[in-house]
Amino acid sequence: MPLLPPRWRLVALGVAVLSLPIAAGLIWLLLSGVFDKIHGLLPVGRPTLENWRFLSQGVGGRPPIYVPLLNTALFAVLVAALEVIIASMAAYAISRMSFPGRAVYLGLVLVLHAFPAVSLIIAIFYMLRLLGLFDTLIGVILVKASLELPLGIWLMKGFFDYLSWDMEMAALVDGMSRWTVFWKVAFPLVRPGLLALGTFALLSAWGEFILPFTLIVSSQRAMMATYLQSFLTEAFADYGMAAAVGLFYALPVLLLFVLGQRYLLNIYGGGVKG
Amino acid sequence: MKGIPVRLQGLSKSFGKVVALKALDLDVRAGELVAFLGPSGCGKTTTLLMVAGIYVPTEGEIWFDDRRVDHLHPRDRDVGMVFQSYALYPHLTLFDNIAFPLRLKKTAERETRQTVRQTAELLGIAHVLDRRPASVSGGQQQRAALARALVKEPQVLLLDEPLSNLDAQIRIQARAEIRRLQQELGVTSILVTHDQAEALAMADRVAAFSVGELQQFASPDELYARPANAFVAGFVGHPPMNLLKGTFEDGHFAANGVRLPLRTTAKGAGILGVRPEDMRLGGELPAQVLVVEPLGREALVTLDAGGVGVKVLIAEDRRPAVGSNVGVGYDPDRLHLFNAEGQRL
Amino acid sequence: MARSVAAAAPEQRAAGVGRLVGRYGWPAVFLLPATVLIFLFFLVPVVTTLYLSLTNISVITFRHPQWIGLANYRALLGDPFLPKILGNTARYVVFTLAFNVGMGLLLALLSTSVRQRYGDQIRALWLLPRIMPPVVYVLIWQGLTREAPFGLVSDLTGLSRNWIGAQPWTVLILANGLVGASFGMLIFTSAIRSIPNDLFYAAAVDGATANQTVRRVVLPMLKWPIMFVTAYQTLSLLTSFEYILLLTDGGPGFYTTTVWSLHAYKLALSNYSGNVQFGLGAAMAAFLVLIGIVVSIFYLRIFNYRALVAEPKVEVN
Repeated sequence: MPLLPPRWRLVALGVAVLSLPIAAGLIWLLLSGVFDKIHGLLPVGRPTLENWRFLSQGVGGRPPIYVPLLNTALFAVLVAALEVIIASMAAYAISRMSFPGRAVYLGLVLVLHAFPAVSLIIAIFYMLRLLGLFDTLIGVILVKASLELPLGIWLMKGFFDYLSWDMEMAALVDGMSRWTVFWKVAFPLVRPGLLALGTFALLSAWGEFILPFTLIVSSQRAMMATYLQSFLTEAFADYGMAAAVGLFYALPVLLLFVLGQRYLLNIYGGGVKG
Repeated sequence: MKGIPVRLQGLSKSFGKVVALKALDLDVRAGELVAFLGPSGCGKTTTLLMVAGIYVPTEGEIWFDDRRVDHLHPRDRDVGMVFQSYALYPHLTLFDNIAFPLRLKKTAERETRQTVRQTAELLGIAHVLDRRPASVSGGQQQRAALARALVKEPQVLLLDEPLSNLDAQIRIQARAEIRRLQQELGVTSILVTHDQAEALAMADRVAAFSVGELQQFASPDELYARPANAFVAGFVGHPPMNLLKGTFEDGHFAANGVRLPLRTTAKGAGILGVRPEDMRLGGELPAQVLVVEPLGREALVTLDAGGVGVKVLIAEDRRPAVGSNVGVGYDPDRLHLFNAEGQRL
Repeated sequence: MARSVAAAAPEQRAAGVGRLVGRYGWPAVFLLPATVLIFLFFLVPVVTTLYLSLTNISVITFRHPQWIGLANYRALLGDPFLPKILGNTARYVVFTLAFNVGMGLLLALLSTSVRQRYGDQIRALWLLPRIMPPVVYVLIWQGLTREAPFGLVSDLTGLSRNWIGAQPWTVLILANGLVGASFGMLIFTSAIRSIPNDLFYAAAVDGATANQTVRRVVLPMLKWPIMFVTAYQTLSLLTSFEYILLLTDGGPGFYTTTVWSLHAYKLALSNYSGNVQFGLGAAMAAFLVLIGIVVSIFYLRIFNYRALVAEPKVEVN
């Protein structure tokens, strides 16, 4: 937006002021995890490894860190994988195939996309108990992957719509079955979309709190989110250690952010086209 | 509206390492319409945008009468501008579009309404003022853009390829209308175009640009009859002038083994220019007809005269057959001689 | 098409799945997993929510809920805390929405007024609260709002308080807002960028200041995106409670910051008033589900083709 003349200083100042809270938050997290205490944003004393003792031993009756860590990693990866595969299969069908009820299906996906899935948590709790999937990783994985599906299908449909028909026609004429066309021709061509959806699903699942909080009870299946939350609810919270745990937990996200700022902006901003 | 003179002094513009306009000196007289003519990338639009105030010059000065304006915001220059895309505000009716500059200045609403209506009537769009730009024709949009530019009675009117988005039929008509309007109002105007016919038809004087440099600034007749260099010679006039590379020798011009007799004292390598309309069939030079393009009133004949290609414009009814051998002649007084660098001799 | 392919390449016909599937089967195969999951975890829960709301299901009667008709709904309407919860919900939605849209607009306008490189960095920074795990985000808020000498806010204002307890609404709205603003910011940025440069030049030549250009040219052209963001986020805010749960847990005290969705959740899923009132919670959730369905369909009709242009890929708070 060319505003003439470009009023650099005023705009820069305005934005800097608005963005201070976020910067402050980041700094707090980094410093609190590293130092013994901080006053405001000023560290007091020396850096300490005490905050990080959760890495080597279970703290306060909690399971050792690798338990929630592995659970969360497994959860995130499986959700992302399921999401990518199932959503692109469905999106491919909607985008490239004709079948009775196609318009209805697309409409359903659109409506669900806007529908607030979190309002279903109570029913889902009940259902998982009945199905015997309560307090299991499979249960949460399935739920999370399902709730993200409308978004995923919508996203992937956009990418499939963009592909030219020629390649698929040629492949079909060459004798490939529809599945092979999908798997060997179309799927690889929408890689940017797959990456975008995968990243998005990964980030979303990595940070997921409500689902593990509601649907998982036993500490053996705890996730990083509920693990960290247990620190927050203590009467005299050890902020140093909580921050260290938080820093540890958020590290992959922060890394991704630093390395892939542009990329993240693209996928969240809808700028990625196939 | 009274026109004011515009002076460009030592004006230049670079974008990083790219030089869009080299030092330009140019004077536009009060009430005159000057056309900036040239191919894409020649610097004409850049210059226009500097006069408007949208670009800031890298060097140089711009004077509106006795006011130096080159570092002023467009808002403070009192110019009106018509953009190639018209740039009408899509969410406003044509009326509100035209009224926009007046409302920004907080003009009284009654006066605004009156002025807008008057200007719209002048431009023949009073009957569609309540419509949005998307619901009127291209021609009407263009006139609305013009109305918006004129409604605040600017000192200088700038037009950036205002006709290029119009259908060919409407273009000729619009051309005459804009010219008539400009002369009536007497507002100093600068028109940017890549269409040489447009420039010649509308302007009092034409400034021809090529790769950021002014090539010639003169009346249309001057540019046509006495082009300053080979670029102007080849750019102005349609069909384009025949430009032959060769050598000037005593009493003739040698190109590719063909000798063209002419009166000159010039010597050495150079370029000979002769317009298709200044040549005729039935002359002494032997040539073979390659292509005949009927143009309605005339025909354009492409000939091979001993290895040298020329085009000749002839009256329609005397078309030769393709492949036939004819003689080609030219008017020795209508030749244009240029040296090896393209400068007029 | 499968038939002609099968005729052309006999060896492909042998492929088991292809053979069984035939002409109408392929779409079914591709759609099957998604359909099953959507059915199981969207459609069934919607019905289940309604069903449960009509029973007296609780911790005691979990295996054998009894049909009690609209009794839960009547109990709801008679609940003395209902007005408070409705008020809280309205307060939460309205103020957070105002912040989200307003800040989103401001950020979009500001970040598009500078060179794209810097604009990108600004927008990326504001994306951070959204991609950060909510629990970590809340931890940071807790850390910053502690009493002196630890909490930054206390230090800066000179007033030592636990600000979450002292000003729960302010903290809630800001915390949610910092996450929510990025949605509007991205959509508005995209819309602003699609305005042709010529319009800005024309406005400048017409005599508009930067202010006037924004007010009279940019904002009117953002009408649809603004409406879209408002509609989308209103629905989203009505049903979200994650950050509230983590920050204030509906407190401090009784129901100070409890909103409808949070109350529903707690009724059903925490040992709130001694007897986990699953059915009652389901009844509250049923309201949200019904509103959600109606509004989703409605807003999608209106915004359908605009949504295609804006293409939100963000699950919002």
